[in-house]
Amino acid sequence: MPSGNTKKRARSAREKTAPYGDDINLEEYEYSTSHPSDLESLDNISKQDRTLVREVGFDPSQKRVSGSFMQFDNESILADVLIQQEGLEVMPTDLALKKYEWLHDYLWNAVQVDTDKYTARSELENYSGYFIRATAGSRIEMPVQSCLLMKKNQSVQNVHNIIIAEEGSELHIITGCATPANVEKSLHLGISEFYVKKKARLTFTMVHRWSEKIDVRPRSATIVEENGTFISSYAILSPLKSIQTFPKVRLVGPGAKTDLYSVVYGSKSSKYDVGGLLSLEAPKSNGKVISRSIATDECEIIARGDLIGLSGETRGRLECDGLLVSNTAVIRAVPMLAARAEGSELSHEATVGKVGAEQLSYLMSRGLNEDEATSLIIRGFVKLKVPDLPPALQKSIDDAIKMSMEGGM
Amino acid sequence: MNTDFLLETKDLRVEVSGIPILSGVDLTFSAGQVYAILGPNASGKSTLAKAIMGLPEYKISGGDILFNGKSILHKSITERARMGIAYAFQTPPRIPGVKLDDFICRVCPDYQCKDEDEMLMGDSCACKQILYDDFERLGIRNLANRELNDGFSGGESKRSELFQVLSMRPKIMFLDEPDSGLDYDSLKIVGRELKAIREKRDATLVIISHHRYVLEFLEVDKIYILQRGRLVYTGDMSDIPILEEKGYERFFAEIAG
Repeated sequence: MPSGNTKKRARSAREKTAPYGDDINLEEYEYSTSHPSDLESLDNISKQDRTLVREVGFDPSQKRVSGSFMQFDNESILADVLIQQEGLEVMPTDLALKKYEWLHDYLWNAVQVDTDKYTARSELENYSGYFIRATAGSRIEMPVQSCLLMKKNQSVQNVHNIIIAEEGSELHIITGCATPANVEKSLHLGISEFYVKKKARLTFTMVHRWSEKIDVRPRSATIVEENGTFISSYAILSPLKSIQTFPKVRLVGPGAKTDLYSVVYGSKSSKYDVGGLLSLEAPKSNGKVISRSIATDECEIIARGDLIGLSGETRGRLECDGLLVSNTAVIRAVPMLAARAEGSELSHEATVGKVGAEQLSYLMSRGLNEDEATSLIIRGFVKLKVPDLPPALQKSIDDAIKMSMEGGM
Repeated sequence: MNTDFLLETKDLRVEVSGIPILSGVDLTFSAGQVYAILGPNASGKSTLAKAIMGLPEYKISGGDILFNGKSILHKSITERARMGIAYAFQTPPRIPGVKLDDFICRVCPDYQCKDEDEMLMGDSCACKQILYDDFERLGIRNLANRELNDGFSGGESKRSELFQVLSMRPKIMFLDEPDSGLDYDSLKIVGRELKAIREKRDATLVIISHHRYVLEFLEVDKIYILQRGRLVYTGDMSDIPILEEKGYERFFAEIAG
């Protein structure tokens, strides 16, 4: 169980505002008072929910996955590992913490509990979420899929996820978060802690699809050890009230590597503040933060990237591309580079512009009208191209983005 | 109104960024014929084709463009394309995230998925096989899965452009230096494709080129020579070897004399 010290730190940060994003009054929401119940089977979910989860890449038929996790609000949970998947564990976090005493060392280790009021509050209220682990040397080729659904009004979905890829393992996770369009004002608090051990390889793909009155404050961090690889791809393609997220990856072992990709398709009057921080702490560690933003309607997108070179022989790269397709939207790219060790090579490139006139003319000369041409350019632009991803996984991402775009546009 | 011509330009004046490029050009193009537009660098050959396609940077400052006897000045690029006017870009822009094969299936009627049920394993449509066979013929099978114009070599671009323009089945197509940057084998492939169109006589070909090979191979019906934004000479195939021998400067001097 969490030590008294953790609770104490959490209480001390109760009022600590986050440096970025609109401040949210956490007293305006209802918190869950009970622990979630078990959902017997994926067959029991409604047709509507099936459609919704498909839009964030979750396949209820579980055809091409190794395991599934699904959570409705804080109410009910399904955790399922398909047979023959040795070395894979998928279970609710609270259960896992009861089962494994050692897991408490991983709780609030990558993410600090007193980071801000959101981490603090998450600790102080009831939470669930998933624990996913690949044991040492296990290569789980099919992805684990997870989906967090939020359907209640005026409430908070509070999850704490812990993902561990043990030494030499390979693990792929596709996770989606979604709300039906009619949900009124609610808040999603998500803590995610990732641990990539020596020579392990973890890919994490997340697709978000929220509705217009939802605020979202994920807090996540990853620790990558020697020669470990962490690849994260994130897509948010729906409107929402606001999201502010700034995941942090610490490369603590020599040769550790990470790539963070994100795509934001902004619409309506949503506010997106999405970033990524790389902390290069060991020699020969390297990483990239690559973001694509498309701003339509009156939305506001801030794309942040922060590279911190704490060791020599390190390389970090930041790429931020923005496409503005509205006169009332705004994209702000905020790159930050801080080298604190000789031999740390950090670079960045940021471009923000509108759809190219030449590209438009070209596509129109092939018979597309202006809207079709613009939409083709945008669809091409949002494609997340993640090198070295298994083709099946890349296809799942493409499909999820396609579904989500069609659902939202 | 004379509707014998498929397309004509009348006293066509075109500006780019306020600088006049074409200063009153009268040309006619008949259905099923093959034309070459020749002229020294910066004479306005490409500008003519781009203005006819309707590219926005090419501002019409005077004159008219008629298609089947009707002005198309107020028509968008899309409308012109759908009427049957096509232009093969010399340096087509890169379209990230859009694969060549998907794009062609989207824009070219011949390769569209006719039946969604034909989808095999949910991955690929049967029509792709036909497309790939045709790609093979033009030697661009390797480009199928590449992003549109992304890192295509000069020769690859030419063949990909030609492929797209041909599969749109236009009534008139402007090919901007379809032979430049091609090695000898590719030149033969391109020549063969163009020859096939010529023989069918169901489309008008307008070729902008500096090179004798393709023009002679195709046996062009008519040549137009532009100089400093004006039409200075109208001739036929027999002029091409003379031009090559003398060069534009002497050729112009002699016709002026």
